[in-house]
Amino acid sequence: MDKNRKAPPLSAAVRDNVCAVKKVLAASDILVHEFSTKDGTPCAIIYADGITDKESLGDLVVRPLAQTNAPHARAEVKRTLLFPETRDADDLPAACEEILAGNPALFIDAVPGAVILGTKKISVRAIMEPQTAVTVKGPREGLIEDIKTNMSLIRRRLQTPDLRFDLLTVGRRSRTAVAIVYLQGIADPKIVEAVRQRIRAADIDGVPDSSYIGKFLAKKPYSLFKQVGTTEKPDILCAKMLEGRIAILSDGSPIALTLPYMLSEDFQSSQDYFVSPYRATISRLLRMLAICISLFVPAFYVAAQLFRLRLLPFGLLMTISGGIRSIPLSPSLELFFLLIVLEILIEASVRMPKYVALALSVIGALVLGDTAVKAGLVSSPAIIIVALSGISAYTVPDLTGTLSIIRIAFVVVAGSIGPFGILLLTALLVYYLVTADSYGTPLLAPFSPLIRKDLRDALYKTDIYSLDTRPAVFQGKNQTRLRVRNRKEADNG
Amino acid sequence: MDKIKLRQICFILAAVLPVGKMIVYPATIAYHAHNDLLFSALANFFAEGLVIALILLFAKNSDKTLFERLQNAVGPTLTKGIYLLFALFFAGATLLPLLELKGFVSQILYENTPSVLSFAPFFAVCLFACVKGFKSIGRVADIAMPVFAVCLTAILLLALPDADFSALLPIGGTGGRAVLRGSLCSIPWFTDSLFLLFFLGHFRYERHATGKVILAYAIGAAATLLFLALFYAIFADIAILQQNSLAQISKYTTAFTSLGRIDLLFVFALTLVSVFYLCIPVQMCVHCLHSVFGKNPLLPAVIVNAFLLTLTVLLNNSFRELQTLFTERLWFLFGLFAYLLPFLCLFLSQIGPRGESGGSPGRSRAKTVDSPASARGPSADSSENTRRRQKSNAARTPQPRKHAPAKSGAQLASREENA
Repeated sequence: MDKNRKAPPLSAAVRDNVCAVKKVLAASDILVHEFSTKDGTPCAIIYADGITDKESLGDLVVRPLAQTNAPHARAEVKRTLLFPETRDADDLPAACEEILAGNPALFIDAVPGAVILGTKKISVRAIMEPQTAVTVKGPREGLIEDIKTNMSLIRRRLQTPDLRFDLLTVGRRSRTAVAIVYLQGIADPKIVEAVRQRIRAADIDGVPDSSYIGKFLAKKPYSLFKQVGTTEKPDILCAKMLEGRIAILSDGSPIALTLPYMLSEDFQSSQDYFVSPYRATISRLLRMLAICISLFVPAFYVAAQLFRLRLLPFGLLMTISGGIRSIPLSPSLELFFLLIVLEILIEASVRMPKYVALALSVIGALVLGDTAVKAGLVSSPAIIIVALSGISAYTVPDLTGTLSIIRIAFVVVAGSIGPFGILLLTALLVYYLVTADSYGTPLLAPFSPLIRKDLRDALYKTDIYSLDTRPAVFQGKNQTRLRVRNRKEADNG
Repeated sequence: MDKIKLRQICFILAAVLPVGKMIVYPATIAYHAHNDLLFSALANFFAEGLVIALILLFAKNSDKTLFERLQNAVGPTLTKGIYLLFALFFAGATLLPLLELKGFVSQILYENTPSVLSFAPFFAVCLFACVKGFKSIGRVADIAMPVFAVCLTAILLLALPDADFSALLPIGGTGGRAVLRGSLCSIPWFTDSLFLLFFLGHFRYERHATGKVILAYAIGAAATLLFLALFYAIFADIAILQQNSLAQISKYTTAFTSLGRIDLLFVFALTLVSVFYLCIPVQMCVHCLHSVFGKNPLLPAVIVNAFLLTLTVLLNNSFRELQTLFTERLWFLFGLFAYLLPFLCLFLSQIGPRGESGGSPGRSRAKTVDSPASARGPSADSSENTRRRQKSNAARTPQPRKHAPAKSGAQLASREENA
């Protein structure tokens, strides 16, 4: 539709307007309800079936109009209806757009244009704990597919006038509502503007999920690493916004995007903030160790066998060599094969129906694991290493996709170049990560560039009183989060 | 754009550069200076420290890059000539540590593939680093610092029980000539101060910057000296045979019987740091060429890395000859570039025909010189620096109070009249 060309205005005749709308919206779910006012003036309501609250339409619109004489202007219509959410639509495209969004258009004879009634009602699933972010302690609410509900979940947690929702519409055909959510005075306005520009520039026919928006927001579309943070939990989202990040909600998606993104935030869990700092610190260090195990252990296993590294103590070496003696495959092929099997198992377990999950577990664990070892196709140490690597990767669920690719790359270089290949690939990764950024925020911050103050909530976790400022990496104007004065007052009783 | 932080420079000096002196250098210096190797090393550290202090002194006066300073002093043509010389020097000086690391990799990491093949991918990593500029050097130093600190401490602690420090006695027993010979032959390992010369204008001179950098350098030097002392204390007379000292120093630890060679884990990590270290001179070489030709850094990076790869292949089995050539015949050339040329360049930029003494930030003349390189890279950084410094100077200047300007103005006028 050419937006520059001015659309013709709606007429004052109900019949003409209804015909015009039905000509554009010929679908059978677009219904017309015709009725008359007390003095016999014809009226019509056009609405989309299934996404309109017909009950309130009848009670709050049709009934009052049927009991009074016809109003002569739209302002008078609004006064008559006492309806909380009404808008004017002067032309046909505007009226059609609102009808498709679930807001009915009311036409009254002799009143030019249409009155749009905000009675959109979409059936949504209940708010429940997201499966990707299960916590033992802490809030269990998760975002859902309805953007309005998600906005209300955020508003409930941040009852401040500084909370802003910038609503945009993306998708030529889907007309998906997208909200840029931020705290004014805390979020960087330049990033907000940059995000707004990028979303506006996205000229696509449809946006089924927020990940589409994420692709538009990523500055390096072919990057192996995530460039936009994601969360399904409103409490995490609000915490991120309070740190100075910006959130992007998309209608139809339970996943909110956050910007700027840092790699260290994937190592944080909401539970870290509800347990003691010691426990949280240990958990974070464990996650980092697990990622190292997941990446390097399979590669070093291959390199140690192929290039005779004397890294292992003699007793362990004998045990391993006993296990691998009769394996026909080379260590790199063996590990590569097992890692591929692991990826297939993970891929299948995500997609298959729950009732066959047990069968798959049996096949995966017994047939592929135990039988393959007994048949002499793979060695027991290799299975242990792949299992350890696979489990370790899931300590940071947001990174598993990236990790699985890098892990296979490490095994390949370990099998071809050896331990030095592992070091070189690590160096390349480090060079890549230290120079990558997300909207001006270094991806590897606060480790590189080193920001000592921000390590308090990245490498380790200090007590709540020490987290008195927002992360320095965002360089926001409003840095104070907590006034330590309160602690003294509390201590003094 | 191509910025590096003072903290990162400190980390480079304290944690990245010392690794380069922990592979073949200890055996070489032990060969020349025997048990007095610490004195030889100390002399080198002192000389290099002096150059670093001088460079920082000049950094204090102006935030222009070396290229801009030289351009103002000797004109663009000669500046480009000097930069080409430095590029050539960096390419040549990288050869020894390159072959050093190649030998280390093939002997310690037990490669049974041809060492050239296993080492060649290094240049791919280096190419990537070269394209990323100084920012990558600094950021990588942030990562390397804890790795170096933890791993070197672990290796030294593992080695400590086997050390017999009486091997370092009698102090001065080798004689002055041997110590001097050890120092002169070690100069090829002490040219890292040049990096700082090229960082000029790319970092912000903070308060007490000289002290911080010198302290970081001293920490790096202390770590190296400790390593050397421990190395000689363990191997004594056979130290000259221990070419890959980083991997040898802790191999006798009794813990190996139950734990295996866990020191190799730390050696791996330090090898990673040495990969970062080895990229720096190549990055400097590319920086020099980029400054001269002003093109996309990718092209000089490809040329330099391809050139070095070719040389590595050609000199695959000639490490010993190259080491002899560099340490016993060409050491003066390294001394010239590492110690004399920085002095010369910096003084030239001060007293040259078109020089500006001190080069105060507000009087940048670099923009008058029409050079594509200066227009794109370094001068842009410098002008940004200048603006920032002007801004901070303006902020520091006491501003008149909001409600008093008229009165102050009148008072000033009356004072002038009186005068």
